[in-house]
Amino acid sequence: MSGYARKILRVNLTSRNTSTIDTKDYEEWGGGHGIGSALFWDLVPDKAITGFDPRNIVTIMTSPLSGTLVPGASSRTEVQGIGAHSSPIEWFTRSNFGGRFGAMLKYAGWDGIVLEGRATNPVWIDIRNGDVEIRDARRLWGLDAWRTQETIWREMSEGGYKSWVNVKDTDDEKRTTQRPAILTIGPAGENLSRMGCLIHDAGNASGQGGFGGIWGSKNLKAISVVGTGGVRIADPKGLIEARLWAKQKYGLDIENPDPSWWSRFGYRRPQNRFWDQQENARLNACIGCNTGCKERAASGLGNESICDESAFYAGYDKAKHGGKQTSAAYMATDLLQKYGINAYEASQGLVYIRALVRMGVLGRGKAIDCNLDFRKIGEFEFAEELLTLIAYRRGIGNDFAEGFYRAAKRWGRLETDLKSGVLPYPYWGLPEHGYDPRAEVEWGYGSILGDRDINEHDFNSLFWYPSGAIWAGRTPQPSAEMVVKIYAEKLVPYENNPLMLDFSDENIYSEHMAKLVVWHRHYTRFWKQSALFCDQRWPDFLNTKAPSYQGLTGEGEPRFYNAVTGKGLTFRDGMERGRKIWNLDNAIWSLQGRHRDMVHFADYIYDVPFGGIGKYAWYFLPGREKGAWKYIQVNGRRLDRAKFEEFKTRFYQLEGWDTRTGWPTKKTLEGLGLSAVAQELEKQKRIGI
Amino acid sequence: MGTTKKKQKKVLAPVSRREFIKLTGTAAIGAGIGDFFAKIIWVDDAIAALPASEGYLLVDTKKCQGCLSCMLACSLVHHGRIGPSLARIQILQNSFEKFPDDLTMAQCRQCVDPECVKVCPVGALHIDGRNGNVRRVDSTKCIGCKACTQACPYSPGRALWNSEERHAEKCDLCADSPFWGQKGGPGGKQACVEVCALGALKFTKTIPEQRGEGGYNVNLRGSGWKKLGFPTD
Repeated sequence: MSGYARKILRVNLTSRNTSTIDTKDYEEWGGGHGIGSALFWDLVPDKAITGFDPRNIVTIMTSPLSGTLVPGASSRTEVQGIGAHSSPIEWFTRSNFGGRFGAMLKYAGWDGIVLEGRATNPVWIDIRNGDVEIRDARRLWGLDAWRTQETIWREMSEGGYKSWVNVKDTDDEKRTTQRPAILTIGPAGENLSRMGCLIHDAGNASGQGGFGGIWGSKNLKAISVVGTGGVRIADPKGLIEARLWAKQKYGLDIENPDPSWWSRFGYRRPQNRFWDQQENARLNACIGCNTGCKERAASGLGNESICDESAFYAGYDKAKHGGKQTSAAYMATDLLQKYGINAYEASQGLVYIRALVRMGVLGRGKAIDCNLDFRKIGEFEFAEELLTLIAYRRGIGNDFAEGFYRAAKRWGRLETDLKSGVLPYPYWGLPEHGYDPRAEVEWGYGSILGDRDINEHDFNSLFWYPSGAIWAGRTPQPSAEMVVKIYAEKLVPYENNPLMLDFSDENIYSEHMAKLVVWHRHYTRFWKQSALFCDQRWPDFLNTKAPSYQGLTGEGEPRFYNAVTGKGLTFRDGMERGRKIWNLDNAIWSLQGRHRDMVHFADYIYDVPFGGIGKYAWYFLPGREKGAWKYIQVNGRRLDRAKFEEFKTRFYQLEGWDTRTGWPTKKTLEGLGLSAVAQELEKQKRIGI
Repeated sequence: MGTTKKKQKKVLAPVSRREFIKLTGTAAIGAGIGDFFAKIIWVDDAIAALPASEGYLLVDTKKCQGCLSCMLACSLVHHGRIGPSLARIQILQNSFEKFPDDLTMAQCRQCVDPECVKVCPVGALHIDGRNGNVRRVDSTKCIGCKACTQACPYSPGRALWNSEERHAEKCDLCADSPFWGQKGGPGGKQACVEVCALGALKFTKTIPEQRGEGGYNVNLRGSGWKKLGFPTD
């Protein structure tokens, strides 16, 4: 079992007992999400419970690649369980975070953690190699996510971390220079916010699903892990050679940064941040990654925050200060991290309540009474006030903390605001990601056919690459036809069908597009969420450094996976394993109450044309126009209800699911070796025919 | 480091500091391997004539991105397993600290006057003449006294204790890297240097300034780094 630590930690918070699960019993699922889903299936008899029910479990899983030298796959950790965020059903869902927690868990000798039950008082879990202790957390309760980590670090090493530190007080043999890796909640989680996150180090968050609130409901404040062991590698020479091969052929050449932007594995600007770059800073990477996408700055502000966290307040800050960004943007983001608040929910929620202010609905003495002074938006003071209301459920913050979809429902505005699109929540009561389902349909389809905003950027470069060039006044190169050809070659087992990448109005409901969504569901379920290749770096379809622009996806994933595990898995094998995991997930959702009739977008997706804000008003994707491949502008589009229903039928047919209900069929499940799952669905009258 | 040496193993040619400066025309300590001065290294008020290593690792702590890939590669090529506590180079960092104090790179300096070598009672930690004089541990000779781990004057100590195999080990510039198909050591490649995506580590044959950190912690940020918008000074 190279790559695995061979055991999973099982923690019962109710009884305060710990035990172990043999990883071998779940090895067939690969790791990460696959094992997490299988554990959930086995350990939660009643799948129809809610997220805050103490019978709900949370799994925190690594992969065989965690803690190894596989670029962009060493650091990720998959979190699963019934979430607290989605609506109308709190789906069995997932989230995923980077940093070094998963790697450290492996070095301590664990492949994952299963959290069960609910503690009577606040606790934290102290893992030092094989020793696990459930400890009293009353003095940590109330601390923000950063202070919690610093407090535990101090307790673990009074002398700091400038030298070798004994892992245990009584043991001078096991030593490390590394700080314990800590996953914790902030006040938002403690106060059962459905937008509560799990936070690790400064800027790594398990954001979606509301797992922060779920930890709060379990009275679990933090898990700290420190390990001194090593991960066994099946083919060490093969692994170091693969790493150097990827670096040389595909990776960023730091002395000659690539002039183009969207080669995922080796693109020029590794930092994925939307605020102004701080002048005096370093790049920062998760453990084992080839290229850092984060930064740490001399100001100490905004450390390790990227992506939407960095976009949360920068625009407001600039607008308030004459186009010049101040420290407010960084400080507001730091507060998101400290409080443990989901940045997407906070961002889109702020968009929503500002719209309500403009409509004269929300404000002091208005129908929705809110004391926030919106004239101060852009100043840190406003962000602090807003986030504090949310984290501590103060005043109207008690509504906000439920997520703005539920808040709108409380205010009696849900139907109206989803109809108009004022509330930009297209799927499952969750905020839109920036890549609108009316434009980038594979993102929206994947989300509504699953359980959450997928947040999978696999095909997102098909938007960014041409759009970025056009925004800059350049002609996108390579051409749409060439790009589509490169992508299509790698879409095994549906390879060499470029029509899967045609985003024109005529094609977005076709079987070709359904195949793209099927490919996407299966690829991400195994390679990205189970083997845990990072979404920021994988897949690498188009690589501007490589000859003919052909990236390493298809070859890279199995080469790395097999060097670590020795399994001899092909890329196609991984896709099939992803199909199996995806089917198990759908079986769980079916038992939770899913039916195809509820699988539809919010009304505005069908009724309001997609305009796009700012540069997104020029949203380009590849597509055919009169038979010729071009980068076509997709603004102005809305989805057609009837055609989307036809699309769903095509999708279900491709998956081998019941087209009337969307449930998995006995034949499909048995064909995947999931007979026991089929029997359970049959017993509960949720089996497809 | 930098203290008067009472038990130097060998003194080839006592040369005063003044004479040394006169001979070289410079007060710089480092000298190119292969020339006369490679064998004559000034240490405070005396000249030590221990065979100098023919290779050294330089780092740029402002360029490092903290991915620990150097550590992971080190443990991989030496042990066939990957774990930070098995790595002979250590990167220490704090997420919440301000740049550049958020990160420290701790590589073995292959000291010209190696305390770790001197304290080893059985010669397990030795100067390997067959591999460019790199300072390394013969694990078959190590008796587990841990004297070397305590003698290293730097923090964290560059000689580390392998608690699973129960012997000391330290950076050998990959001279003995059985899980890598490359020739290592001062005459070959080093896994940490090869794997670093940003070029924050560099191998050199020139002896670095021995006093302080400046000889080993250098600026490796070139024009490409500037293009990325990061400081190069």
